[in-house]
Amino acid sequence: MISHYLQRHGIPTTTISLIREHTEYVRQPRALWVPFPLGRPFGVADDPDFQRDVLRSALRLLETATEPTIEDYPHDVPEGGGDGVWSCSIQLPEPEVSDLEAALRAEVDLLTPWYEEARRRRGRTTVGISGARPEEIDKVVSFIVAIAEGSGFKEIPPSARGPNWNHPFPMLVRFVVEDLRAFYQEAVTSQEGTNPPSQQDMHSWIFNRTALGQAIIRIGQQIAADEEPRLKMIRGLIVPEGFWRDEVSWGAAPPGMERIHFIRSSLAYLAGEEA
Amino acid sequence: MVRLDELHPEEAASMRNAAPRFGDFDHDATPWITPPPLAESTICLVTSAALHRRDDVPFRFGDSGFRLIPDDVDPNDLVQSQVSVNFDRTHYQRDMNVVLPIDRLRELHGAGEIGGVSPVHFSVQGASPDAKTFEASAADMANRMRELGVDAAMLAPV
Repeated sequence: MISHYLQRHGIPTTTISLIREHTEYVRQPRALWVPFPLGRPFGVADDPDFQRDVLRSALRLLETATEPTIEDYPHDVPEGGGDGVWSCSIQLPEPEVSDLEAALRAEVDLLTPWYEEARRRRGRTTVGISGARPEEIDKVVSFIVAIAEGSGFKEIPPSARGPNWNHPFPMLVRFVVEDLRAFYQEAVTSQEGTNPPSQQDMHSWIFNRTALGQAIIRIGQQIAADEEPRLKMIRGLIVPEGFWRDEVSWGAAPPGMERIHFIRSSLAYLAGEEA
Repeated sequence: MVRLDELHPEEAASMRNAAPRFGDFDHDATPWITPPPLAESTICLVTSAALHRRDDVPFRFGDSGFRLIPDDVDPNDLVQSQVSVNFDRTHYQRDMNVVLPIDRLRELHGAGEIGGVSPVHFSVQGASPDAKTFEASAADMANRMRELGVDAAMLAPV
């Protein structure tokens, strides 16, 4: 849509398309469909030649297309794009379900040197979207443990006070979970030369092999037990479809309520704008 | 590989349901514009990855606004308030350019393939229940692009 609006205001556009079916409906002026996973419009990390070729192919449509065009990029992502061959080379203990906090903190302690190495080598980290600084990861853990153990969705858990949390509650739950996932994912991809994981590899590892996955599922259970149905949207944002066993992770609108109204009401509720 | 058949059935259904919402849009109202030759064109990036600087106001879910990303941004200053769990973050976590190819754009400029790189790029929150809410902010983006001397925009979703 944005491509149409920009062009209506005088700016020519070219677009990467990840879902061809959407592009066929939206009919952007110029689109290069790429057969890459969602989240990776330029294909693969740390491969400048490949990224440049995708970018150049999309830009070239600005010169070659003379009418609305969808061109198919002819190459898949090169070897190393993930897809089921990854295994974590950092040995974590079997997650101990009886003491979630101890298990989670033990994992974070084991991953910290890997995380720090990755952060130093890359010169960056993506941890921090919740508002917590990377140095405050212990408060991120406290937050997740408290919510998983039933502190509720009315206020920030007292044990997690300190960081300058950057999102309204309860939506904040979604971003705190993201920060700890980012910490784990940056740590386990720190080693050069290993076959990098795909997102599906990461989902499987986190939800089948880590205390973090168990904590996220317990948050999902707290949401299921809560009388507020609009919380289920958060579950859909932290538990990918396929990893929540009881029903659709997103949940469903209450009987008699249209889905779009349920979504709008959920958004307002999660942003703290609607009781 | 994003072919809908390869996604989880719930995700695929959600994507399929999203598509017809675009159907009542008047595509023909968009004029065809031809930019200058690439070697003379200044290009700016527009990402829907909800990237922004750490001290920016984060995007809300359903936010129709945009954030500015300077071309010389420190990659460590970028965070992402995209809400969806259903896309790959692992490659972005290793390399910003897989989502926001600022370095690649500069290389194309260095090689003379494009005329220039916009001093500022644009970011929006792609997770929106209604894409038509972007109309006003896209008009504002276009005005800013013109002021920046941008000849064409390269859009990339996640």
